[in-house]
Amino acid sequence: MGIPKNKREWLGLIQPDLLMNLTLRDLRSKYKRSVLGWTWSVFNPLVAVVVYSAVFSIFLRIEPSVGDPSGLDSYAVFLLVTLLPWQFHVTSLTEANRSITANSSLITKIFFPRWVLPTSAVLARFLTLIVEMLVLLILIALWEGHIAFQWIPVIAALMILQLLFTIGLALMISAANVYFRDIQHFLMVALQPWMFLTPILYPLNLVPADKEFLGISYRTLYQLNPMVSWAKAYRNVLYDLRFPSLERWLAILSATFIVLYLGFKIFNRLEPRMAEEV
Amino acid sequence: MVGTSNAITVEGLGKKFRLMQDRNWTLKATLLAGHRTRYEEFWALRDVSFEIPTGETFGIVGGNGSGKSTLLKVLAGILRADEGSAVARGRLSALLELGAGFHPELTGRENVYLNGSILGFTSREIRNLFDDIVEFAELEQFIDEPVRNYSSGMYMRLGFSVAIHVEPEILLVDEILAVGDLTFQKRCLDRFARLRDEGRTIVVVSHDLDMIGRLCDSSVWINKGELAAVGSSSSVLEDFISHDENSGMNVSDQSHHLRLKPDDLVKSLELVDVNGHSMSSAASGQPALIRVRYDADRAGEPATVALGLYRADGTHVSSINSGATTSAGNDVGVIEVDYEMPSLPVQPGTYEISIALHSRDMTKVFERHTHLFRFEVDPVAGSHQTGLVALGGNWAAKNVDESN
Repeated sequence: MGIPKNKREWLGLIQPDLLMNLTLRDLRSKYKRSVLGWTWSVFNPLVAVVVYSAVFSIFLRIEPSVGDPSGLDSYAVFLLVTLLPWQFHVTSLTEANRSITANSSLITKIFFPRWVLPTSAVLARFLTLIVEMLVLLILIALWEGHIAFQWIPVIAALMILQLLFTIGLALMISAANVYFRDIQHFLMVALQPWMFLTPILYPLNLVPADKEFLGISYRTLYQLNPMVSWAKAYRNVLYDLRFPSLERWLAILSATFIVLYLGFKIFNRLEPRMAEEV
Repeated sequence: MVGTSNAITVEGLGKKFRLMQDRNWTLKATLLAGHRTRYEEFWALRDVSFEIPTGETFGIVGGNGSGKSTLLKVLAGILRADEGSAVARGRLSALLELGAGFHPELTGRENVYLNGSILGFTSREIRNLFDDIVEFAELEQFIDEPVRNYSSGMYMRLGFSVAIHVEPEILLVDEILAVGDLTFQKRCLDRFARLRDEGRTIVVVSHDLDMIGRLCDSSVWINKGELAAVGSSSSVLEDFISHDENSGMNVSDQSHHLRLKPDDLVKSLELVDVNGHSMSSAASGQPALIRVRYDADRAGEPATVALGLYRADGTHVSSINSGATTSAGNDVGVIEVDYEMPSLPVQPGTYEISIALHSRDMTKVFERHTHLFRFEVDPVAGSHQTGLVALGGNWAAKNVDESN
């Protein structure tokens, strides 16, 4: 497909109404017929913070780095500013991965652009991330007197880039999952170590820079994981109150656009036979 | 180029499916087997070419598994052709399944927006059409209820209403005219007639040959994936029906035995003649008997047998149940229950029988098989009647001279 020339063609390409309606469907149906409804979405990060704080901060005594220049020293905040984006990453991918196979009746009966299914699954989760991040900003302002509101534009930029990165990944795995149902199991296996190989529970400086593997330092290898850049950047902005370095931004931008491009490329490649394989 | 006024041009179309030998959906198997997984190819469509002029109502007929639904899905863009091409000119909408994509937990209103946007509407367009859609579906009262509380008729009506309001230039329809009660069906047909009068192209796949004959100017007959005939509906239907009579008769007989599993309570359902011979067709107005065998031991008690008679287009003709009259006295083993009709009171056509076994007090359903047995009702020579039922009356005339 070429570059759209007018508004009509852009709308045809982006499908804003279809995306919105599918996103609303995911959000509306999620907590239907549950008594606590939306409050469930609060429990997950809450329990995680309590458990991880207990294990890593109290038992294992991991020291959060002191915020520079904010001077903040709180493991809970240190953890939450990266944990919330990470949980978005995990749940988006698991839900988007199922989105094609779970909507097989749609795919085999109606023709519509299929990429909207994983994309709207990620979008639905993204809307909850926005709410969570706002609540986080308010809570740390109230409890720690830690004011990060002026950084909202930068946080928004990071979140939008993460959204695009996640959509790219979601497109790849959801399309592949139609052909190989292994992907869903693989995802469960991969996400666990991925979390521990991202500086969420501990600061990046605990990863040794002076030990080498094949002549490359552990820390350099470690930073090949694109989620490291996001974790670090979120922590810079929300915890340290500092603008992330240019290198971080470059890493984030290139990861986003490479993954998004590959995502659409792979998805378009696998789309034609989806209706018969799903 | 020929045929610039064609809404749809199909050229040398071929579609193949993979029949997996052992359908292993695993990465490991693919990696181990190298690039090629073992599968057999099966051509569902091969070398099909025809054109549909703009504004025409066009029928697709063929037996079960002939590839006609595959053809429709290729036209709709759901499946991609492996050979040749199918090109549609104009906004196209396919009615393959009504209410596909409805979410049971969402309300009718939310689902109208969802379904409408999947069918290609913008939210603004749906807002403008919303009242019409709801009114056409006759669901004003229930539109804010979750659709899981809808009856299947309500569900289908809403699905149909959303789909029909798309107002496409080309409409593809798969066997879904039998929606709702007769009034609603009538309105659906009116709506189709209106679309046709407006010069829109309509493509219909149906088993209801009557309807194809009435609605469609021309038709195509697909047989085992190949084009068997194309042309005016009357000639195509004639070819199809004569072919079907020669070869298709045994199919219905086999299919009903295939559908019963060894551990089902219902052992058999047959249509038998006065001599007790099984038959696959009966004659209108002549005696016929429906014979059911079921396993009373496993049912645990003598069952009430309920039979439903349907026309092939889904119209419900009649339902009957045996009440308590089916006890054979000694209710063990397999019991045979007969329902005897002195004269089969339906018009010629294709019919289907559904069966359910209930407990004696009708509070439990032991087993249900819908559209289990399919059979033909043949016309009786010299009989001239149409409609739903065979009244079976006799004409008499006598001279009544008033002056006497």
